[in-house]
Amino acid sequence: MQLIQSNIAQDLIHEGLAHGADFVEVYVERTQNEALVFTNSRAEDTQSGTIFGIGIRLIHGHQALYGYTNSTEREELLRITRLLAARIGKTGAAPAPLNFERQAYPKIPVLPDRDVDAKYKLSFLKNIDTILRQDARTSQVVLNFIKKKQLVEVYNSDGIFATEERPYIRLAHQLVMKDGGLQSQAFFGPGAIGGWEFMEKLDTRENCENLLRQATTTLYAAPCPAGKMPVVIDNAFGGVIFHEACGHLLETTSVEKKASVFWDKMGEQIAHRSLSAVDDGTISGEWGSLSIDDEGMPTQKTKLIENGILRNFIADRLGEIKTGHKRTGSARRQSYKFAPASRMRNTFIERGPHEFSELIASVPSGLYAKKMGGGSVDPSTGQFNFSVQEAYLIKDGKITTPVKGATLIGTGPEVMTKISMVGKDLALMAGMCGSVSGSIPTTVGQPPIKVDEILVGGEA
Amino acid sequence: MKKILERVIAEVIDHKAEGDLILSTAKSLKLSSQRGAVSEYKISSSQILGVRVIKDDRVGIAYTEATDDESLRFMIKKALQNSEITEPNPDERLLKLSGDLLDDVSYDEAPVDIALKTRKAIELETRVRELDPRVVAVPYNSFNENEYHSLYLSSRGRFTSYSDKSYSITSSALLDDNGKKANFYDFHLAHRFKDLKWDKVTQTALLHAKNLLGETTLPTGRYHVRFTPDCLKSLFDCFGNFYSAKCAIDKVNPWADQLGQVVAAPDLTITDDPNPGGCFRHSRFDDEGVEKKALTLVKDGVLSSLIHTSVTAKKLGTQTTGHASRGPTTSMNVSGTHYVIQGKNHRPLPDRYLQVIQMDGLYSGANRVSGTFSVAVKGYLWENGERKLTFGNVTLSGNFLELLRNVEVAGEKLEASTDESFFSVPLIFGGLSIAGA
Repeated sequence: MQLIQSNIAQDLIHEGLAHGADFVEVYVERTQNEALVFTNSRAEDTQSGTIFGIGIRLIHGHQALYGYTNSTEREELLRITRLLAARIGKTGAAPAPLNFERQAYPKIPVLPDRDVDAKYKLSFLKNIDTILRQDARTSQVVLNFIKKKQLVEVYNSDGIFATEERPYIRLAHQLVMKDGGLQSQAFFGPGAIGGWEFMEKLDTRENCENLLRQATTTLYAAPCPAGKMPVVIDNAFGGVIFHEACGHLLETTSVEKKASVFWDKMGEQIAHRSLSAVDDGTISGEWGSLSIDDEGMPTQKTKLIENGILRNFIADRLGEIKTGHKRTGSARRQSYKFAPASRMRNTFIERGPHEFSELIASVPSGLYAKKMGGGSVDPSTGQFNFSVQEAYLIKDGKITTPVKGATLIGTGPEVMTKISMVGKDLALMAGMCGSVSGSIPTTVGQPPIKVDEILVGGEA
Repeated sequence: MKKILERVIAEVIDHKAEGDLILSTAKSLKLSSQRGAVSEYKISSSQILGVRVIKDDRVGIAYTEATDDESLRFMIKKALQNSEITEPNPDERLLKLSGDLLDDVSYDEAPVDIALKTRKAIELETRVRELDPRVVAVPYNSFNENEYHSLYLSSRGRFTSYSDKSYSITSSALLDDNGKKANFYDFHLAHRFKDLKWDKVTQTALLHAKNLLGETTLPTGRYHVRFTPDCLKSLFDCFGNFYSAKCAIDKVNPWADQLGQVVAAPDLTITDDPNPGGCFRHSRFDDEGVEKKALTLVKDGVLSSLIHTSVTAKKLGTQTTGHASRGPTTSMNVSGTHYVIQGKNHRPLPDRYLQVIQMDGLYSGANRVSGTFSVAVKGYLWENGERKLTFGNVTLSGNFLELLRNVEVAGEKLEASTDESFFSVPLIFGGLSIAGA
């Protein structure tokens, strides 16, 4: 079943083109959300709901005109289209009637979208809660389960009609520990594009043990010393450093405004020669995967950096118009309330030649960041900051005492040239990325890497 | 719109449940500029309706963006189904409140022509470029016009209506001076178009960006620190769980058992005030339909109250403070209105202190349970009353619990955050840790 009638989409596109738009796109979305919060050892909160709306975009030259509404009424949609078209201020030749051709594309395999009943979900969450509370120091467990099914339809004036159903599932675990006056937290948030099968594949006991280890370690850790030092960043969520310090700077959203330090560096060495990285929307089951992007283009695997040389930007339609760099199937948005923008999908540093032990052994005195927290970047200057959730000092090539309160700061271009060793053990991790087109599921990842020098914020 | 709410409430009652509804509608316009022309023009109209049903002491929430009969019935059905999953919570009941509370402010203003809005929006970019040849981009610039309306109706008969209209403008300056880059942005809010301070945002963005071009690192060590009101607001917002009764119940509030105890410097008083002088928009009632009043949270350094909903108040044996917060898609929580930080002492300004004008990474770098934080900061070093240098590329670390106890100097005159939602006398905190060179 289509979310709106094709002839309404045709009328809107016709109206936009007749008023001089170069390109018209209609994006229709219906998302069913489900959320369950399990805390204080009980199901405290359940919500469900349906998001539905239509976004209409006209492009004229370098100008993007965007409007959205919840209404499916033809007249209301035409009114919005005319309001947008009035900004162009001219009338073009009436275009020929448009016949949509359904976009053919390879479907990225997703895990089966099997659902289970509420009682089963509750027993699953209760089990995690019970394991985590076996440690007497656990003072709180918050399990946030979300499931959503996003159905999108894209019609555009190229005659494309593309549609995709995207099932998402995620379970965020938060553990709080207390011992006397000491308190610590640990977080783990696996997610996938798929259904309940993903939850069944999680190794609950191992995940709980990791959370307990992380919280316990941080609980008694000494404050992290401050200063510039070599840092070994472990795999999986360690990839957030590449996401923030480099990935955002390669999005044409920043490049087109020259608000990225890499805007004129195509083909140049921007990173250490040991580093290659991709943005890949085609990985089966990964949280940031898509079959089509939110402009209806089949997604792809995009080589960003090859042996340190910049090979591609992450581009959407408007980015291509403004920069000349080809679209990469990377146009994404949180919902119909946002115009699409060039955004990352599953972005990671590729495998290198080194064993983890070699990375650690190469550091006489430094920091091992086992688990990264979040961070942010200003693409225009490349300046970034990250928190470290679990960290240890390295002395004489060996991991020694745990430390807490570490922050890493620097600039993207600088740190990319200082990643001198890349390990073999690649791992990915789900996260949420916020930017101009809202908050979207993205995957970060990397093998363990060694950064020769970075400023570590801690206690002076 | 009220009729839709009444129809849904009637159906909730038919299911032998009680409940309340929130309907939010919004309209907006956004204009951004690039290279002297409009690059983005965005208009929107949207609505969302959320229902909370309470049946057999169990709560369920559901929402919809469509208001046709079928969608409304489906929403109620889902809310009832959701309520069957949750554990009974006898503390969550509708308050016995009825009658109407209206807070629909109308701002007297003649319609503003779109051509004028467009011209002024473009100037948010072009003026910055004209002011300094080193400006290579104005990455953040926009004009926004927003109208918002929220209706609330409970099955007990409480009806509230809140509406507001606002404008916001943002500008920034990305400077490049022989390869050295600096970026800063500023914004302004107003209820009327004519009150927007266009020059203030362009000039402030450029001024700080120019200063940041000369930024240098600082030696690692301990410093006295003064935050701008915007940065101080960010800190107080980040650790807002310290005042939250909900967080106390959830065991993620380190002040949970500190009522009547000293938690801050003795000359510090912190109030949550729904209507302080100079605030951008007052707030008359909360999302349970309770009228709001000013509440002293910390009096002369002693914790005197947490903020409550009726649910947290019942659980902890007290009265609601009118701080229930719920949107159409979310469950009941607590949230503050405007923090007002007051206090004074007669200590002189230290000879040397840092003024922090920008903090990055606070939410990822903060532990909201232990109070520790570590953030990237930029700002100015002051010595003997003179601004000596601009610093950057350093991190600031501390603990919010200790920060509030280590107020070295508290001035007299309240200063407002840029969005006029937070007010504080100037405060200088002692002994914060800076990591730099």
